[in-house]
Amino acid sequence: MRVKLFTSVLLVTLSVFSQKNISLTIPNNLKENANAVVREQSVDITLRSSSEMHVIQKRVVTVLNKQGNDNVDAYLYYDDNKRIISLEALVFDAFGRQTKKIKKKDFKDVSAVDGGTLYSDSRLKYLEYTPISYPYTIEVSCEYVDENTAFIESFYPLNDYYLSVEKSSYSISYPSDIQVRTKELNLNDINLEKVELDNYLSFKVKDIEAIKPEDFSPSLSAILPRILVASNDFTLEGVSAHVENWEDFGKWMYHDLIKDTQDLPQSTLEEIQSLVVEAKSDVEKAKIVYQYVQDKVRYISVQVGIGGWKPFNVSKVDELGYGDCKALTNYTMALLKAVGVDSYFTVLYARSSQRSMESDFASMQGNHAILNIPQENGEDIWLECTSQKLPFGFIGDFTDDRDVLVITPDGGKIEHTTKYEVDESLQTIKGLCNISNEGSIEAKVTVVSRGIQYDDKYLLETETSRDLDTHYKKHWGYINGLSIDNIEINNDRNNIEFIEDISFSASNYSKIVGDRMLLTLNALNRNRHIPDRYRSRKLPLHIKRGFKDVDTVEIKLPSDYKIESQPENVLIENKYGSYKMELNVKDENTLIYNREFTIADGYFPKEDYKAFRDFYKEVSKQDNAKIALIKK
Amino acid sequence: MRGLSFICLFLFALICEGQNYKFGKVSKEELEEKVCSIDSSASAAYLFKKRHTYFSYHRSDGFKLHTEMHARIKIYNQDGFDYATKEMNLYKDGVLEDKMTEFKAYTFNVENGKVIQNKLEKNEVYKSDVSKYLNEVKFTMPNIKSGSVVEYKYIIVSPFWSNVDEFIFQHSIPTKRVEAIFEVPEYFSFKPRTKGYLVFQPIQEEKRDKLFYKTEVPITENTKLDTKSLYRTGEIEYKKDIYTYDLENIAAINDEPYVNNINNYRASVKYELSYTKFPHSAIEYFSTTWQDVVERIYKSASFGDELKKTAYFKNDIDALLASVSDPVKKAALIFNFVKSQVKWNGYYGFYSEDIKKAYKDHVGNSGDINLMLTAMLRYAGLNANPVLVSTRNHGVPLFPTREGYNYVVTWVKLPDGSEALLDATEEYSIPNILPLRVLNWQGRIAAENGGSGLIDLYPRTKSKNLISMMLKIDEEGTIHGNYRSTKTNHKALAFRNEYIRADKSDFLERLENTYDGIKIENYVVKNDTDLSKPVTESYKFLKENQADIIGDKMYFSPLFHFRTVENPFKLEKREFPVDFGYPSVSSYKILINIPEGYIIESIPESVSLALPDSLGSFSYNVMGNGSTIQVAVETQINQSILSPIYYEALKEYFNTFIQKEAEQIVLSKV
Repeated sequence: MRVKLFTSVLLVTLSVFSQKNISLTIPNNLKENANAVVREQSVDITLRSSSEMHVIQKRVVTVLNKQGNDNVDAYLYYDDNKRIISLEALVFDAFGRQTKKIKKKDFKDVSAVDGGTLYSDSRLKYLEYTPISYPYTIEVSCEYVDENTAFIESFYPLNDYYLSVEKSSYSISYPSDIQVRTKELNLNDINLEKVELDNYLSFKVKDIEAIKPEDFSPSLSAILPRILVASNDFTLEGVSAHVENWEDFGKWMYHDLIKDTQDLPQSTLEEIQSLVVEAKSDVEKAKIVYQYVQDKVRYISVQVGIGGWKPFNVSKVDELGYGDCKALTNYTMALLKAVGVDSYFTVLYARSSQRSMESDFASMQGNHAILNIPQENGEDIWLECTSQKLPFGFIGDFTDDRDVLVITPDGGKIEHTTKYEVDESLQTIKGLCNISNEGSIEAKVTVVSRGIQYDDKYLLETETSRDLDTHYKKHWGYINGLSIDNIEINNDRNNIEFIEDISFSASNYSKIVGDRMLLTLNALNRNRHIPDRYRSRKLPLHIKRGFKDVDTVEIKLPSDYKIESQPENVLIENKYGSYKMELNVKDENTLIYNREFTIADGYFPKEDYKAFRDFYKEVSKQDNAKIALIKK
Repeated sequence: MRGLSFICLFLFALICEGQNYKFGKVSKEELEEKVCSIDSSASAAYLFKKRHTYFSYHRSDGFKLHTEMHARIKIYNQDGFDYATKEMNLYKDGVLEDKMTEFKAYTFNVENGKVIQNKLEKNEVYKSDVSKYLNEVKFTMPNIKSGSVVEYKYIIVSPFWSNVDEFIFQHSIPTKRVEAIFEVPEYFSFKPRTKGYLVFQPIQEEKRDKLFYKTEVPITENTKLDTKSLYRTGEIEYKKDIYTYDLENIAAINDEPYVNNINNYRASVKYELSYTKFPHSAIEYFSTTWQDVVERIYKSASFGDELKKTAYFKNDIDALLASVSDPVKKAALIFNFVKSQVKWNGYYGFYSEDIKKAYKDHVGNSGDINLMLTAMLRYAGLNANPVLVSTRNHGVPLFPTREGYNYVVTWVKLPDGSEALLDATEEYSIPNILPLRVLNWQGRIAAENGGSGLIDLYPRTKSKNLISMMLKIDEEGTIHGNYRSTKTNHKALAFRNEYIRADKSDFLERLENTYDGIKIENYVVKNDTDLSKPVTESYKFLKENQADIIGDKMYFSPLFHFRTVENPFKLEKREFPVDFGYPSVSSYKILINIPEGYIIESIPESVSLALPDSLGSFSYNVMGNGSTIQVAVETQINQSILSPIYYEALKEYFNTFIQKEAEQIVLSKV
């Protein structure tokens, strides 16, 4: 559901900025790790009724360097329901002197269609400004009236990495017949000033330091301080709603946005019913329906008016053979209903960040839709209806392991999507490596990937042979002069397993030094990335997904050599995972190399990061362990 | 005998008949084809593409350019679904705009052995008002499956007749058949320019045609003063040239690493307007020769005239140069003055947008900035000229046209005879070191008298990165020591762009993580803002696990973390030149102190290798002496751009030196 989340636009009325050296007045702690500093921001909302809000915004940002230019955020989306009353920007130099004034008509005005969308009726006004020197300050002010009140701007003092905030304020006033709810998030270390009166709320924060992105840390959305704001009565593209909780929200969505779109044409209904005649269970029927959908439709995004939130009619998807996530989910639901299988439209945040819907705060949230098929054992089936390649019931890292809103005719409820456990996300390697007397390698390997590791691989199925050749050369990029001799790929969609059979060879794989040959035992699966080191780690350690690799490789040693010395077996176990390496001598010229590497998902305090990184360092070191051979 | 050849001809005709390219006549064979017959890896293919571009005369508003398009596309699998969506740019300027008419589109599929078709409805075609100069039309075809064939046609009627879009014959998917027709009335003279590796020629013929006109009658001739008869109508016969292209089985073209711009190699033809000659009017030249192109650019108000204006900067430059007489110093002062005074807004162009405003507001496009620079240099008595450039993303200009160029830099010749190219849009650039975007074959000097000459934009001097390290390796394989690098020219430019604008602690952390978390202390950069000198970095470092310790022996690569590990050239074959951007040399001089109690058992042999025709070289020397090892490694690329005939050699050269750099030093315990 490509919801028009154009709410985090922060713009301004005008005030005279103090005529002094702006950059010098920024406290040092706010300059640290900051490309830009929000000096002052205010958002003042007057909810005039459930179908009109008036908003005045101002944002003053000092940009410290080139990277900070993006944080000026001098843009404003608008559409037929949103009228811009004023929009203006002032530019100040490092000494606080105003150097430029940009009026509304000098903002660029463009269609807000992005790359992934065929059409959207939203438009965008933005400021194009080339800085003359750094630092500089821009003050942007705007005022607008919006007839959509479903997306009341929340209090979002910080919206990016490398950005700090000097002060930021927010207020909302509303009529006495409307209730406004709020939810505070990630405000623990922040001094919040709150005013709560009848029909009026305001918040103020000061001095929020910049956040720097770090490896294996929680997503930005999980750490940004913010206060969500929603009104119980709102209007969305002319459709009004009264919502106090997710149950109400789900009812409203089902009855006002979804129900009347379920007009499956009779011919398709009969066709799908005839296809499932032989099916013995609901799951089997659902599989047939999913395959039918994957063969018939594809993802295309078109957002017009209420269509930004309401799915296309089922008959339209049936006719056109395409739709966005809402439309395709809804279409699949209608087909399942036709064969007697219950399923529910589900709203969520997609992408690998695993962002959850706020379970106790009902408001317009989410950016995607999938389908839920409830199961008696509690292990519900989730269907990603925009993909033509994913196996039935497999959702991958796009929508796994997070709280989502399931919409039923009786109301909405929060559920949790499938989590891929460590042992399920298994990659096994069975390999044979022949090393010649000249040090060249010939390898035959079978890689079987499951769970989240399947997700990393399944798109290879449709790559061209030229691209696959390059892919595997990059995959084993640490072997110089690699040539791929054979590639066989098998995507087992039934068992959700991806099987790769590859043969390759490379000359000069092992290093010959005098009478000795140095052979790196792990040719097929070396860990190549060590997480970054930080002088002072700020964020907690969050391993979002675990995995397990099990490798068994037979190594044929060159006939002219024998073992001089070999590395000792390794076993490391800790809370982040484990690593095991065992080398068995099968006969004079044959070794069996066994490796097991597991990373467990989990959430740990920042102090754990060093030990976690050290573990990865040790794994990389062990993956490069060599055996020394000497001429017989 | 005669009978036999008749049969052959007949058969041939039948085969041709099998392909029916009439709109809507999609055959079952086309629908049932599983794999593209000319490229089995193709996810989609143009089965047929036809474009017909011609002029038509409208009595009310003159000539318009009509372009009829017809495409039939086969979709073999899901990866080809993107080709069922089409995007078109329609231009506009004030009241003038491109209009699309007679749109028709169908999807064809075979269902239960029958060909069925789905029409694309008009309301599924979306038009967006993208910006002041651009509308965008997008549509996607209904009912797309693996195996579908889509077919669409439309006409675009454009008032912008001086600009005929490029005829493109090669795409990222194969094209089985392409036809293109361009009809030009005698009033227009167009020059074709052809690109790519494919050889093709149009069939050219001449035809006669008629147009009906309506002109205003001068008041003096009009006796009745009746508005209805203020116009005179008539009919003119004229001749037109018709160019027809008919090509078959064109392979897909796809990008590769180190290709400057894939469009330089795409089979296409662009018709450029050189002049118009309307009845009873004088010839109006657009471009014919390079001389002419340069002259016309020079004569335009936003180019040549801007070079003559001095009033806006006069006082400032007088003050700047008050006590300077040395022309070299003058040039340097002016160059730095422009760089510090006027910042580039990111827009390309060789015309000035508004030079005075740019000077006053301290912001301008490339035309503003470098024409200003040229004007100032001339004002100071130096011999300076603008140089027209086509940037890398704009492709290589092969034929004389104004559209061939999109950027301008400055050329200056000093009294001592030395020449320099300057680009003041790039804050840290120095004379003759132009930003990478400009390094694209040759530029054209536009001299005052209309003269023009080519000048090589690629730098002649090598960009250097000289690294020296003194380090100790201990018994655990940890190395620690001192690092120092000296960078010149483009290597320095890239470093300065990265370093100066960054948050320093963040920069350092990223540097450490580039080498898997090496620990760096005492990080010092010198001459980062003194562009007259090479930029140097130095630091102390520590890095663990740099040796394999097996038994009583230590093994390590003498270049440690600086060795090249991966060959950038992975494809077996290459059709396009390899573009490095600039010639370069990297050198490493490393002094290694080995741990006490160890002796050097063996060191890799020294070696040197070279690319053919002195295009590049690699030298590798390791010398052991008691407890120290000296390492000297140097790689050179001597040319900016290498022909694909050297690809095999280049790939092998990389393979060999990567392998050499991986060789090990062996230490053993005493």
